[in-house]
Amino acid sequence: MSMAVQPPWTFSFGKSSILSHHFKNTSYMQIQLENLVPVPLRDKILQRSSDIWNRQITFTPGSFIKIKAPSGTGKTTLVHYLYYIRTDYTGQVLVNGQPWASHSKATIAAMRQEQVSVIFQDLRVFEQLTARENIELKRVMNGQPYCTAEKVAEMAAKLNVTHVLNQSGSTLSYGERQRIAIIRALVQPFQWLIMDEPFSHLDEENAQRAAQLIAEECKARKAGFILTDLDNDTRFAYDIHYNL
Amino acid sequence: MPSFYQLLKKIIQTGIGRSRLIMAAGGLGIAMILLLIAIQAHSDFDQLLYSQQNANESADFLVINKKITNAMMGQRGQSVFTAAEIADIRQQSFVEAFGFITSNQYKVTAAAPGDLHFYTDMFFESVPDSFIDVKNEEWKWTPADNTIPIILPNDFLNLYNFGFALSQDLPQISQETVKAIPMKITISQGLLTQEFTGRIVGFSDRISSFLVPGSFMEWANGKFGNGVAASPSRVIIKTKDPSNPKLVKYLDDKGYNTNQDKIKYSKTKMIVQTIVSVIGFFGVVLLLFALLVFSMFIQLVIASCKKEIQLLVTLGTAPRQLQRYLMRQFVPLYIAIGIVALALVAALQWWASGQLAIYDMVISPWIAAGTGIAAVIVIVLVYIVNRINVRKYIHAIS
Repeated sequence: MSMAVQPPWTFSFGKSSILSHHFKNTSYMQIQLENLVPVPLRDKILQRSSDIWNRQITFTPGSFIKIKAPSGTGKTTLVHYLYYIRTDYTGQVLVNGQPWASHSKATIAAMRQEQVSVIFQDLRVFEQLTARENIELKRVMNGQPYCTAEKVAEMAAKLNVTHVLNQSGSTLSYGERQRIAIIRALVQPFQWLIMDEPFSHLDEENAQRAAQLIAEECKARKAGFILTDLDNDTRFAYDIHYNL
Repeated sequence: MPSFYQLLKKIIQTGIGRSRLIMAAGGLGIAMILLLIAIQAHSDFDQLLYSQQNANESADFLVINKKITNAMMGQRGQSVFTAAEIADIRQQSFVEAFGFITSNQYKVTAAAPGDLHFYTDMFFESVPDSFIDVKNEEWKWTPADNTIPIILPNDFLNLYNFGFALSQDLPQISQETVKAIPMKITISQGLLTQEFTGRIVGFSDRISSFLVPGSFMEWANGKFGNGVAASPSRVIIKTKDPSNPKLVKYLDDKGYNTNQDKIKYSKTKMIVQTIVSVIGFFGVVLLLFALLVFSMFIQLVIASCKKEIQLLVTLGTAPRQLQRYLMRQFVPLYIAIGIVALALVAALQWWASGQLAIYDMVISPWIAAGTGIAAVIVIVLVYIVNRINVRKYIHAIS
């Protein structure tokens, strides 16, 4: 594990539950891992060393985190644990000091609308909606859109997907879907952006544009991200690198 | 730009269970109509029943006595009410007020004044004043008074005027004349005798007896009686509804008798109540089935969109938003069904009131408030049940 320079305003809370609780409503969303081990990969993981699995980790709010993970090490599994759509693990994922399971479904929904956003590796675009509607769904979900429709158009232009906005989700190429999924993740407020190989279907130029847009949007929100990928890259000024 | 709910509409297709939805809606509609008709019929029958009675009286009075059977003849003790029986009558739910009819314990004779040559043995009874329908200011007596006010049954004068007088070629007498004639009343016990002037002050339709004020009865029974308070053999009750099947059954079970005319509606009422209850019962059963089909429809819709709903939840859609969206798809349907059912029943009521008016039977052309309230209750019930279902199924997959 290599620690890069942290922004001066970031700090770690350890396990102080009072502070974490305070954090819940007012400030940055705290994500911690405690001896997290996926049940299906247990034997494999315990035989080798990992910067993430089976450790105590606090993700520093606002930092750009890269998790490098070769195939089969549980990269997507980790993303799903972080976003709480899989629970087949031992140990804990603590959010604001509390395990995911202790948060109500309504609270989790509110967090997903306001505090944490995600780009899945398998993109998960609604095929019965157009590209624009897929983005719009997320934009208007919380009642008070964070982004304007013009802002969406601007982002689409930056990622070269303006021409497919009115196309049905089912007719989009993977590259187009990936860029739609990126824009969808960026139209909401968040403090953490979780990305699983977000550029896997993009050419170098589009990947650079997307990375730039993501960095800009994170900076605008003073948000951090957790990005998992197979290889090393220099698309972002990462604060922290982990090896899964 | 489409709203969030418009987008949800594109994702969560509710068309999949259309046939089920139509079945559920139809069932709900029929169930609602049956229920409302049952409630409305109940209220209409009540109206028919009570509008025929004296509109000024909200209650009716029944004089109750034991049936005199052959086996009882000669045994006076068997026709009186015991204290336990009286207590039992008093505590029945249909009894609003209760009074004894007190008999005289002395001999009474009445004679007409002058040369009318009328002389008869007779009797007196008294009831609490609150049970008397023809009270006036003359209806009072103190030991200082030599005049006793008397109330006669209306039937008695009618019997005389239209039965006796006509056949015997005697003059018919008006109520005013009877009231004007002072009667010579003699009460006695053994050698003790006292004379009074009796004056008729009213004619009662309610109580078939010769009534004197309670104060006189008490005084006379004290002075001329045997000193033992006699058990009453007739009691009077005040009841809201003399055709109440409970009352009729009670009287039958105990072997009591009362004015049969007043309770004649009881049987009709029971039959109508049974029919209405059966209709209502089918309405309730159908309603339950409709709720079941609705719940299956909701389950089907949610199951068929399971993947989409899960992705929506993954993207941060709150279960509440999904519930609200789904309920929005159904609630207008319930309200429409409720309005249609209510309108149909209202039209039926209006038509029935017109038809019955031909036979001089008056029912309101409008539906009863209870019917409207029932419609609202059914809609609320369906809403709650469906909400619980939606919640349950959404929760199960999110």
